Amino acid sequence: MKKIGVLRFLGTNCDRDVWQAVEDVGLKPEWLWYEDQFQVADYSAYVVPGGFSYGDYLRCGALAAKAPVMKSLGEAAAKGYPVLGICNGFQILCETKLLPGALVRNEKRKFVDRWVSLNPQTQTKWNAKARAVIKLPVAHGEGRYYAETEELKALWDQEQVWMTYVENPNGALEDIAGVCNKQKNVCGLMPHPERAMADWMGGADGRVIMESLLG
Amino acid sequence: MDNLADKLKKYRLSKDEYARIESVLGRAPQGVEWALFSALWSEHCSYKSSRVHLKKFAFNSPRVLQAMGENAGVIDIGHGEKVAFKMESHNHPSFIEPYQGAATGVGGILRDIFTMGARPIALANFLCFGRPEAPRMPQLVEGVVAGISGYGNCVGVPTITGQTEFHDSYNNNILVNALAVGLFCEGDPVVTSVAKGNGNYVVYVGAKTGRDGVHGASMASESFASDSESKRPTVQIGDPFFEKLLIESCLDVMKQDLVVAIQDMGAAGLTSSSFEMAAKGGVGFKIHLDRVPLRDTSVGPEEILLSESQERMLLICEPAKFEAVKKVFHHWGLDASVLGEVYDGPEVELYWKGDLICKMDPKILTDNAPVYNRPYQKWAPKKQTAELKAKDLNLIDVLSSVEGTSRRWIYQQYDQRVGAKTARDCDDSVSVQRLPSGRGFGLVLGCRPHVMRVDAQVGGYDSGFYPALELAAKGFRPLAMTDCLNFGNPEKEEIMSEFVAAVEALAETAKILDSPVISGNVSFYNETLNQNITSTPSTGLVGLRESVENIPRSHFTHKGDAIYLWRLPQVELVGDQLGRTPQFKGAIDAQKAARFVDAVRVAVQNPSINSSRVNGKFGLGYTLARMCTETLGAAVDAVAGGFWTERLYEVVLAGPESVMEPLQKAASTCGSELVKIGTVTEGTLQLGPQKHSLNELNKAYNTGWSQNFAQLA
Repeated sequence: MKKIGVLRFLGTNCDRDVWQAVEDVGLKPEWLWYEDQFQVADYSAYVVPGGFSYGDYLRCGALAAKAPVMKSLGEAAAKGYPVLGICNGFQILCETKLLPGALVRNEKRKFVDRWVSLNPQTQTKWNAKARAVIKLPVAHGEGRYYAETEELKALWDQEQVWMTYVENPNGALEDIAGVCNKQKNVCGLMPHPERAMADWMGGADGRVIMESLLG
Repeated sequence: MDNLADKLKKYRLSKDEYARIESVLGRAPQGVEWALFSALWSEHCSYKSSRVHLKKFAFNSPRVLQAMGENAGVIDIGHGEKVAFKMESHNHPSFIEPYQGAATGVGGILRDIFTMGARPIALANFLCFGRPEAPRMPQLVEGVVAGISGYGNCVGVPTITGQTEFHDSYNNNILVNALAVGLFCEGDPVVTSVAKGNGNYVVYVGAKTGRDGVHGASMASESFASDSESKRPTVQIGDPFFEKLLIESCLDVMKQDLVVAIQDMGAAGLTSSSFEMAAKGGVGFKIHLDRVPLRDTSVGPEEILLSESQERMLLICEPAKFEAVKKVFHHWGLDASVLGEVYDGPEVELYWKGDLICKMDPKILTDNAPVYNRPYQKWAPKKQTAELKAKDLNLIDVLSSVEGTSRRWIYQQYDQRVGAKTARDCDDSVSVQRLPSGRGFGLVLGCRPHVMRVDAQVGGYDSGFYPALELAAKGFRPLAMTDCLNFGNPEKEEIMSEFVAAVEALAETAKILDSPVISGNVSFYNETLNQNITSTPSTGLVGLRESVENIPRSHFTHKGDAIYLWRLPQVELVGDQLGRTPQFKGAIDAQKAARFVDAVRVAVQNPSINSSRVNGKFGLGYTLARMCTETLGAAVDAVAGGFWTERLYEVVLAGPESVMEPLQKAASTCGSELVKIGTVTEGTLQLGPQKHSLNELNKAYNTGWSQNFAQLA
């Protein structure tokens, strides 16, 4: 069985939760430390977990984007491996330009923690099966998706808008909660699938995302 | 003599304390010794006014592994799991500088937890603010909440419950109490702060030392005058990113068995950590203060000793293991520096650039601190009446009042789910986490200031019983508690009398519930310009149940469910909210109350019970309104005692008719009664003759916050 690479930066704090979620769907996670590069063929998919890498210093995800591990991740992305960035991981993927656009301060300038409903807009390697509404929790202070008007239009045209909010929690443009690259192997999502893996958590829709790794 | 008076003022010591210092030293204090006595003999560090009474909390329970005296209490919860938890106040700093005061309160309590070897899994906070219209209050609310959110979210520990109160007695002295819980899994060591081992290294890890927080401990031990703004430089600055790195690296070195002892540098910084660690181990330290990593080279030895710079720890390790320790910290981007070593002692020797600047037996500072048995009166209830007289409240007014409205604006700013253990969050009356063993871990806060204002003794009992009943109503057995005793000036007899009454009542409650107080702190001098706060002995209770399945909800879930009221009325009371006159009648019978708590816990294991809620502030009217959802309401006919007085204690339950018989049986075993009072319906809440649409109720409850804090919405 191939392993799932889980990236860790200084300040990443959803790493252990992602680890658990990967194990929950029966796969084997392995840490990828920010200072190290790796052989892309050693893993079948990659997750960049959320948290506060480098304490959000400078700009969310900006410092992590320069870490050595991201060089290997860029290579994996180019080769078509599935890559998922969650919350701060999404911010990091935008900072490295693996995904388009940016995530800026929430419209109300406050951190927001709540459950949201999402409409999947397109199929990617991370939701091969799901097309119906899914419910996941968000927890972020800077999750407002932003892109220039023309870029936004291109995202819709090229089916790169992955998920939209039913009820927008942060002022994201066009209710965008997640996007993907043109090849649809690299995805970024503000809500946290790893926090919705069982009914006792308040919902199990996160399994839809994590189970995509099973192929 | 002027010189001496000035010094005493600067170091916040009394003349009597000075005489005591002279007698224990056999001479006058010199140089940095002043700073040492100032810090370690402060109320904050020495508990000099409370120590005689805190002993009343002591009792043996086999599940307690560590209690008072360590950084946090630890209990064994079976299945190889243990939890550490503690609550602490950061009131004074938060009033001066709300963001940093609250943030560093969270940081400090987290360090108390992971310094024991436990991974922090939950945070909670108990906040008391003044009236919304009081000066600075909206900014204080905004700053405190942002500080808690900014620190807790970044460090990656979920804030899963809280309590927020508003009253004018907090207008000039808000309360910010932070609680943290840590989990030890099978095989994780419990590490203490007992230093030992001749020749072992004394190692400094974490952030560099600056001037922030110098004299913080003694500042926290003084009443405020009108110049509290000028104390801003004594407030520390926190960096949660650094704390996160410190958590990972400290847990790592402990797990690898690389450290002998460890303690965080909290109040009074390096002074208290080094002297306390040495005193506990009965050893001496040789410490070179010039080896302390500094932010700026102009910081001198006295400031180094008293600095409360955040995110720093002191640890003891064997010389042979130091390289391994250093490697772990380096991996996490942190430094570790050897400050000196452990020797037979008994003195702690402090060196500055090779010169011995202080040599003192730490026991002089820790064991000889003054102990005051401040004058107090035996408790006599003052507001006891033969008959309660209070007019009914208007439900809409209650739901939109600052006391009654939703706190969602606050807790929506907290990450409640990081760690992926949260089963019930701040929306619920009891927060629940799922432990690795699959069991449910419940956490709830206690102390209701409006009850304290009615009567300090009833309030003291209530600080234990109310949260215990909340746990029981969700099927959790209460296991242990922590407390944060926030009071005014202990030199005033009426305040000390309230303190003693509340502590004795809480201690009795803890004993009867078999839920020992295993950690906590005392915050006196919550007084500004002669106005004392409401005496507020806040508590945090933890409980356990076998699984996280079938926990009753705090709201109605099924149309047609019968609504039951299970009551053991001992005290009836009317609080002082919304301009009412505080009054009560009756008395708490602790034995009976404890049997009631246990009977409720056992009875709600019945999976058919869909909803449960303890009747609380304002009375049954408010409790029932809180159980309504957007669609489900209730029809309740007249209830004995009415909807707008409180009765200690009552639980509202909802479920099918089939649960009534077993519930009534359970009620009869503990001298309580259970009656059906109504039915879950759709669309409206009917309380006796009054009928309200749910739209109207929800609107009042959800918009009350923005009506009270227009500038924050």
